[in-house]
Amino acid sequence: MFINKYLLRLPKLLILKFMSKTNNFVFWGLYIVAWLIFVGLSIEAGALLVNFFFSIYNPEIVGNLYQKLDLSEMYYESKMAFFGIYSFILIISILKAYLFYIVIHLMHKMDLSKPFSSFVARQISLLSYFTLTIGILSYVARQSAKNLMHHGFVTDNLNHFWADSQAFIIMAAVIYIISVIFAKGIELQNDNELTI
Amino acid sequence: MPIVVNLDVMMAKRKMSLNELSEKVELTLSNLSILKTGKAKAIRFSTLEAICKVLECQPGDILEFVE
Repeated sequence: MFINKYLLRLPKLLILKFMSKTNNFVFWGLYIVAWLIFVGLSIEAGALLVNFFFSIYNPEIVGNLYQKLDLSEMYYESKMAFFGIYSFILIISILKAYLFYIVIHLMHKMDLSKPFSSFVARQISLLSYFTLTIGILSYVARQSAKNLMHHGFVTDNLNHFWADSQAFIIMAAVIYIISVIFAKGIELQNDNELTI
Repeated sequence: MPIVVNLDVMMAKRKMSLNELSEKVELTLSNLSILKTGKAKAIRFSTLEAICKVLECQPGDILEFVE
């Protein structure tokens, strides 16, 4: 009888063990991916910053630099347009790198056995705010670039910097909803812990 | 919170220590001290029943509404 009971429970136990191992594996896999993306975005932000200074002080070299992003023509025609567009590019790329820094920080500090803490809730809501900021900035930048195109500036090579603005805005909404649910869950947990 | 827990008063009246109460009520010391210090957000009827039984008192002796 005892053996039968144990045999019936065995597959369930094995599945639970396998699931927790798989979850751990997926978590660490995503942690590594987040690190890789963060490093990539940081390099991109740094390269764009270098580009920016070279396009002001030594525009001839920009052709050999990252993405050959030469906006020196724009610089000579309208300094305001140049600085406006470049600040959009720089701020968006720095914010993207910082977004992934928050993800890494969250995954590093988070205790998988006790994930419902106020720290996690705060970081998730921070993620949603930054994602929304990136989305809105990308949208404004895209509209500004379109506007500049009507004034005779060539901004086609800049489109990939703000191609995904709507995706960021939708992602921000989804993350915000998750963060609100998470915060409510933590509140309920605290209430439950303080019920004697 | 306008609800005040007078557990310490009742314990003093019955001359009972927190350790003794926690053993008799079968609650942990940390949970009892949460209740005693007024940090608790809710109390189960079963807990209240056990405390009242051990301290031989009414729920009103432990909980008080103060504006």
